[in-house]
Amino acid sequence: MNRFLTRLVSVREIPVLLALFIVLVVTGIANPQFVSASGAQDIFLGVAVIATLSVGMTFVITMRHIDLSVGSTAGFTAYMIGKMSAHHHGLVTSLLVALGIGLIVGAANGFLVAYLRLPSLVVTLASLWIVRGVFDQIAGGDTVTDNQVPVALGYLGRHSFANIPYIFIIAFVLILVASFFMRSVRPARDLYAMGSNPPASELAGIPVARRTFFAFLASGAVSGLGGAILLARFHSADSNSGLGLELNVIAACVVGGVAIAGGVGTPYGALIGALLLQSITQALGALGVSQFWQLAVNGTLLISAISLDRYLTLRVKPTRILRVKS
Amino acid sequence: MKRVTFNWDKGILVFLVLTTIVGSFVTPYFANASNFSFVIQDIGEFMLMAIPMTFLIISGEIDLSIGSSLCLSSAALGYSFRHGIPFWLCIIIALLVGLACGLINGILVTKFGLQSLAVTIGTLALYRGLCFVLLGNQPVNQMPLSYTNLGSNSIPHTFLPYVTILIVIFGAIGWTTLHYTRLGRWTFAVGINVEAAKFSGIPVARLKLALFAMTGLMAGVAGIVYTFRFASASPDGATGYELSVIASVLFGGVSIAGGVGTMWGVLAAVLELGVIRSVLQLTNVSANTLLVVSGGLLLLSVAIPRAIELSRNRRKLVSSDSKS
Amino acid sequence: MTDAVLRVSGATKNFGGVRALHNASLTLYAGEIHALLGENGAGKSTLLKTLAGVHRLDAGEIILDGKKFHEGSTRLAREQGVAVIYQEPNLFPDLTLAENVFAGRQKVNGKIVDWVGMQTEAQTLFDQLGVPLNPRSRARGLSIADQQIVEIAKALSLNAKVIVMDEPTAALSSKEVERLFNVARALAKRGAAVVFVSHRLDEVFELTDRLTVMRDGATVGTGITLDTTEADVIHLMVGREVSELFPKGFHPIGDVVLSVKNLAHDGLFENISFDVRAGEIVALAGLVGSGRSEIARAIFGVEKYSHGTITMLGKELAAGSPSKAMAVGIALVPEDRRLQGLFMAASIAKNSSVTILNRIKKGFLVRSKDEAEIAKTWGETLELKYADINDPVERLSGGNQQKVVLAKWLASQPALLIVDEPTRGIDVGTKAQVHKLLSDEAGKGLAVLMISSELPEVLGMADRILVMREGLMVKEFSRAEATSANVIAAATGAVTV
Repeated sequence: MNRFLTRLVSVREIPVLLALFIVLVVTGIANPQFVSASGAQDIFLGVAVIATLSVGMTFVITMRHIDLSVGSTAGFTAYMIGKMSAHHHGLVTSLLVALGIGLIVGAANGFLVAYLRLPSLVVTLASLWIVRGVFDQIAGGDTVTDNQVPVALGYLGRHSFANIPYIFIIAFVLILVASFFMRSVRPARDLYAMGSNPPASELAGIPVARRTFFAFLASGAVSGLGGAILLARFHSADSNSGLGLELNVIAACVVGGVAIAGGVGTPYGALIGALLLQSITQALGALGVSQFWQLAVNGTLLISAISLDRYLTLRVKPTRILRVKS
Repeated sequence: MKRVTFNWDKGILVFLVLTTIVGSFVTPYFANASNFSFVIQDIGEFMLMAIPMTFLIISGEIDLSIGSSLCLSSAALGYSFRHGIPFWLCIIIALLVGLACGLINGILVTKFGLQSLAVTIGTLALYRGLCFVLLGNQPVNQMPLSYTNLGSNSIPHTFLPYVTILIVIFGAIGWTTLHYTRLGRWTFAVGINVEAAKFSGIPVARLKLALFAMTGLMAGVAGIVYTFRFASASPDGATGYELSVIASVLFGGVSIAGGVGTMWGVLAAVLELGVIRSVLQLTNVSANTLLVVSGGLLLLSVAIPRAIELSRNRRKLVSSDSKS
Repeated sequence: MTDAVLRVSGATKNFGGVRALHNASLTLYAGEIHALLGENGAGKSTLLKTLAGVHRLDAGEIILDGKKFHEGSTRLAREQGVAVIYQEPNLFPDLTLAENVFAGRQKVNGKIVDWVGMQTEAQTLFDQLGVPLNPRSRARGLSIADQQIVEIAKALSLNAKVIVMDEPTAALSSKEVERLFNVARALAKRGAAVVFVSHRLDEVFELTDRLTVMRDGATVGTGITLDTTEADVIHLMVGREVSELFPKGFHPIGDVVLSVKNLAHDGLFENISFDVRAGEIVALAGLVGSGRSEIARAIFGVEKYSHGTITMLGKELAAGSPSKAMAVGIALVPEDRRLQGLFMAASIAKNSSVTILNRIKKGFLVRSKDEAEIAKTWGETLELKYADINDPVERLSGGNQQKVVLAKWLASQPALLIVDEPTRGIDVGTKAQVHKLLSDEAGKGLAVLMISSELPEVLGMADRILVMREGLMVKEFSRAEATSANVIAAATGAVTV
């Protein structure tokens, strides 16, 4: 039984899902209003942006790297989409520009990490600033106001299908597609091998540099388009948009079982992680706990997730056996 | 046959001198006492936190929670002051809270064997969260002027802010400790090769725990400086400082992979960033350019040594067969 | 046995000044299991690494399946049909076994990874090998024996014509060895040529069809296993001269310095008791993996042990603390100087002083002058060749690097010096210097515990030889009793001789 339990827990998404379930049930019993359509809607709305960005982050963390530039990029493109629409550019053009910005950032990160072999933490920290600086320079004190948001995005951000906000549905579809890719398409699947044992993946003939480059490129592209979700969600954008978002995204990934040491994790795990963090935030309110506890609880949760990971990796250890017992 | 070696930390010094000269030429407001005083005040907390962070990164670890630790110790100061505790005692409490933040990180890393990058993202949120728990949304103001004046006034008969004293003392201690004591030697050794450090009898876990504790304590000191400077403790203070501190340490020539770096490189880097910011502000170039410049410099600080290494390796490959 | 699958002839390879292969040859036939034998340093691993695509020969020819073998690329080696199974395989711990078998070349259906196909094929391979492994489980936590099986399955799926097993049994239990033998036989039956490298002669005689013996980089004999005796093999292996080495001088032997009683650690070694006296060099002989290094590390405190006591100069030593061990005068020159012995990027001076920082500091400050002084003094004693004492050790040659490790530990003025493979991978001249140094220091009253896989070194240097086999101390020889033959016999468990 114990072994069965351990195995169950080793599929890292399961304990997170379980925790999510417990949070929902316990809060629901204490405060029945919590399990209402509007409660669910709040949670879905709250995770849409983080879930979207976690797709690219999962690619990157899985191969034992990190991308700190996602918040800046998404904030930047959110602003750009709004501004372009205010200047009467079509939504498609704006989205293409957003995608282009994301691809440029991703390609720069990818090139420096994959081909110059610079540490991703440093590279993406630098691009976090550079993108934010360019963004600030362009935006200045300007704000994209609600009426400047493209109509379609404004609609998606405000309306739901069967009580599920459209922007969550978009994020969800993206997560499903990415999960499928990481499971079943070779180049994406190779990211697990690369994060699990980097030297061995070189030996196995995996084109490590190329894969690394494209994973960062993907993360950039997702962040670029993530700006549209960000804009749709908040109906406004200014030079503070997306500030500090990268750490929330990383937190969602880690809580959802994407190990920072690489090799493990799935996009849908990251989604569950984001849902758990968001539900706890909402649950604290529903339980009448001061909302000031929210961050502290999230931090504790994150540390517990890492500790659980560590515990699970330590548990399984090959043993050596004496040949002759005297 | 003397090899000409390029060290990034020497480059920083050159940069610093150049920026200062350029700054003096482009604006008359740059090279004067009050601006210098302003620059020092502006970088005070960063200097104080960059010193222990240098040790930590050289040893191969990292602390992303340092901004939150600063804020938590500031919040603890404000909280205890709000509850009528004598101010001097509040200061001690703030220092202890900073130390505790560092110890918790250290214990999670050394005793539980967790990765510091992941752990300190967790404590970043946890400590920040506790700030809100302590203070709610209300900043604490109206602290005794006799203390908060230390944060805004200059040392009598000079143009230097009081924080200069702390920078000089801790800078000197940090410098000597890193380069001239056993602790410093151990720090480098652990960063270069943890396995060899264990085989040389270096108490790796205890050393790392001490370094984390030191980092927390210095965040506490910086928290007090910060509180005095703004004469207020608020739960959202010093947001994002962690990345700035880490960036200046890396910019100062410390390798993120550990084992490489100098204290003066880091101190010069923090100063350099302050000077650039000042020059840009005085010449009415927008502050945003600073972000771009800092990011660019950070990239160069890793890219240039790597480019040199790559070209050197290529030469080596040509000149001799690889050995097994 | 028809045509030769693989024919290596005239293989020669030098590393710097060290001659690793000298006119070596090897011929393999399809469907045979072929033992490759030789002492450490005889050139086996250089030859194997050449076949694996790691090295390129300086001279000589390799013909695989009638075609010239392309050297110097691990990928090409695999594609040409050579697979090497290492003693400790390098799997992807987070991936499933099926994925490990097909790493980097997953089966696809169009563009989609064919999970079912991979799992079915992996299952078929495991079944053929007669091993109950689940292709869907993850590799993390797999025993070394099972990891080897996964590598073998990978070799099979690549249709390898030559499968090399490099000391595969060193870390296996006897049941696992039996299973591996069956697998090897199955491979041979399928028509592959299996190369089996082992120091355990009993295994060689049980399993292999033919054998090749190497010594000093050359092939010194090859033949059918059934027509050979263990005595012949040992004779071929140890024909090496002892005279090139510096033998230990005769010094008076003093009091007991180190006393180990009933030391044991689960699964690694058991029931180990011995003493080392002042001025004495005691050798721990035996095969790699027999528990020698683990004992050394337990004494020094880098690893723990479960039972027993270690007494140093009459006082019991606390377990698991290198700094406590150093405080009572124990020093360990570790097995792997790059990973465990040195800080490659740090200077010679800093490397040599890391053990004595307490002694060269004044107040809190380390005196760099004293540091350089001490490093230079030891440099002179050890005839260290360097440009500047502040140069990083990575610029030194292997032999000089080893001297820095010795300097670092001799500087700490130990009462007991443990040296683990003190002359591995260094040239003959430096070897002799190291031996002279150990002998001189023993003459001054140092107790030395030496671990070595090189028989001439053991025979030339040691006052007493303790032979380990599979975690147990099986035999003790005095200097007078020991011969290459009886030490090898004890270490390998050979019955004859």
